[in-house]
Amino acid sequence: MAEQTLDCLGEACPVPLIKTQKAMEKMAVGDVLIVNIDHSCAMKNVPDWARSVGHNVEIEEVAEGEWNIIIEKTK
Amino acid sequence: MDEKKKYPFHEKYFKKEWSYVTGSVLLAMLALALVIVTGGSWGVTGPLGMWGGKFLQLIGINADSWKAYNGSLAKYNFWTDQTAITDLGIVLGAFLSVLLATQFKIKKIKSMKNVWAAVLGGLLMGIGARLSLGCNIGAFFTALPAFSLHGWVFWISIFSGAAVGSQLLKKYFM
Repeated sequence: MAEQTLDCLGEACPVPLIKTQKAMEKMAVGDVLIVNIDHSCAMKNVPDWARSVGHNVEIEEVAEGEWNIIIEKTK
Repeated sequence: MDEKKKYPFHEKYFKKEWSYVTGSVLLAMLALALVIVTGGSWGVTGPLGMWGGKFLQLIGINADSWKAYNGSLAKYNFWTDQTAITDLGIVLGAFLSVLLATQFKIKKIKSMKNVWAAVLGGLLMGIGARLSLGCNIGAFFTALPAFSLHGWVFWISIFSGAAVGSQLLKKYFM
């Protein structure tokens, strides 16, 4: 089970979502991707997309206006 | 203790994003209130053209003699311009809401590419908004409930533009 971090700080929508989708494609089932974001709309569309595909998602507020989206690839 | 449980009211109303339905109902009610109170409709980009002209005057370019301004810059008053005041309100309101959500953050500039994209994007948006006499607020949001055909033309155009733009973004910026 590999863990990978994707730095999307300072990136506006829809860049974090597209980068996340690309990174997830290359990962194996069971791998975990941690996406660092500081754009509040990415905090909605990235988890929304990941959940709609069926991955496990958790959001962590790491600082004011900064989040980690933790996505576990399930299929 | 978990912050979410400590401040449930704050969490629910200020931190968690509102639903699209809540947002659209509030927008419609506030836009209607603006029409009732001031008699004018909601717009955003009109004053930006005036401020741009004022800036040119300031650095010694006589923009007021241009056909587009035609003397209107000399008469312009920020405090009696309804759209300028609502623009100020948008910035202050956005600032207030991000402070209430405790999500205020000064973002780092990641690369020069992002800087150029922002400058170029801003210029294109500004030119586009002035050529089409409005942005997605004045030329779309305000136009549709007024049963104005130009809102539908704007809608089709902005969707095709966004479709092409996002493909370009995927291809050249990612």
